[in-house]
Amino acid sequence: MDDEPMGEEPIDPEVTEMLRGRYNAPPETPRDEMWAAIQARLEPRTATVHSLEDARARRRTASRRPLGWVAAAAAVLILGIGIGRMSAPLPQATAPVAPVASAVAPNAGVQRAATVNHLGRTEALLTLVRADARDGRVDPAMGGWARGLLSQTRLLLDSPNTTDPAMRDLLGDLELVLVQIVRVTEVEGVDQGRARTEMNLALQGLEDRDVLPRIQAVVPAGPGMAGT
Amino acid sequence: MNDLELVERAKGGDQVAFKRLYDANVDRIYRLTYRMAGSDDLARDFTQETFLRAWQRLDQFRGDAAFSTWLHSIAVSVSLNGIRKADRHRKRERSLEDAAHLARTRAEVEPEVRERLQGAVDELPEIYRTVFLMHDLEGYSHGEIAETLGVAEGTSKARLFRARARLRASLGDAMQEYA
Repeated sequence: MDDEPMGEEPIDPEVTEMLRGRYNAPPETPRDEMWAAIQARLEPRTATVHSLEDARARRRTASRRPLGWVAAAAAVLILGIGIGRMSAPLPQATAPVAPVASAVAPNAGVQRAATVNHLGRTEALLTLVRADARDGRVDPAMGGWARGLLSQTRLLLDSPNTTDPAMRDLLGDLELVLVQIVRVTEVEGVDQGRARTEMNLALQGLEDRDVLPRIQAVVPAGPGMAGT
Repeated sequence: MNDLELVERAKGGDQVAFKRLYDANVDRIYRLTYRMAGSDDLARDFTQETFLRAWQRLDQFRGDAAFSTWLHSIAVSVSLNGIRKADRHRKRERSLEDAAHLARTRAEVEPEVRERLQGAVDELPEIYRTVFLMHDLEGYSHGEIAETLGVAEGTSKARLFRARARLRASLGDAMQEYA
């Protein structure tokens, strides 16, 4: 309000103040929920998103079949895990120590990047599911997404490079929550009331085990840490 | 890292850089879209659509204006189009939350007067209402408004002048009563 129109003063300050406080007064910005929704819809920038409806429709379609990024991320994971297995120390006592360490380190780096990426995407899903649950909704489209993440979680748990006990605990908790989400969203014939109850139980477990804060501790900049 | 550097990274597909741009701008964008739409659902949709479009169109951002200004231009365009389409800003239904809110404030102000004031803002022509909301309720400068709307500063001032004049004309008694 730097500059007033010439010859015109603001309407009564009290009226302005009332309108500021009452007229479509915005609540606190739902930053995390909106980012989760945006991040879930971000696509390679060469693709064109004409509208949010387009993006939603594309996500709904994509969630019914294997997603491109799921396949890509799974490929990276499998590559990292495969290389990790091939380069892991052999049981022979004569295996030299130094070459194994230098061979494993870069592969661990690849897997670390894939893990952070995976956790960011899982956080996005959980944030959306939680927001839906608050509104009393269970979106069946989340099931396909959760299933893809569940597969990757299990790949990571099976990887010899996942040695950090805290990370293994976190992945174990994620596996449990994702299994519950898949079950609630993909089982046909479950009535909505029961689905909501089961989802709330799954999310209660999420809260009890501080899953989201633990993810955020690994992904400090929030979801979207692809490849970093 | 400044906005231009973050935009350059985001152009290359760096979502972390884009998230930082989001963090720096989302509050103002959401507030503005909420003021314009009067509904959390619409404000969320418009805000999300704004950032999705920005992501897709980053190559069109040349850095002639600030990134936030460019983002606001998208937000205003998305919001106006969305509101026109939904036609909900004039006939929107009060949510239960709003109803509770009104009940709380009933003792504070005369509800009819407040309703008239709010209705008068709703009835402003779109171009006046947008400037009034941005300037008087959200505190944007005429320079910011002009850049966002792609008009001259004088146009922004003139629109505000007319918005206030219309409010005065339609609310003379109510404003005095309220004040």
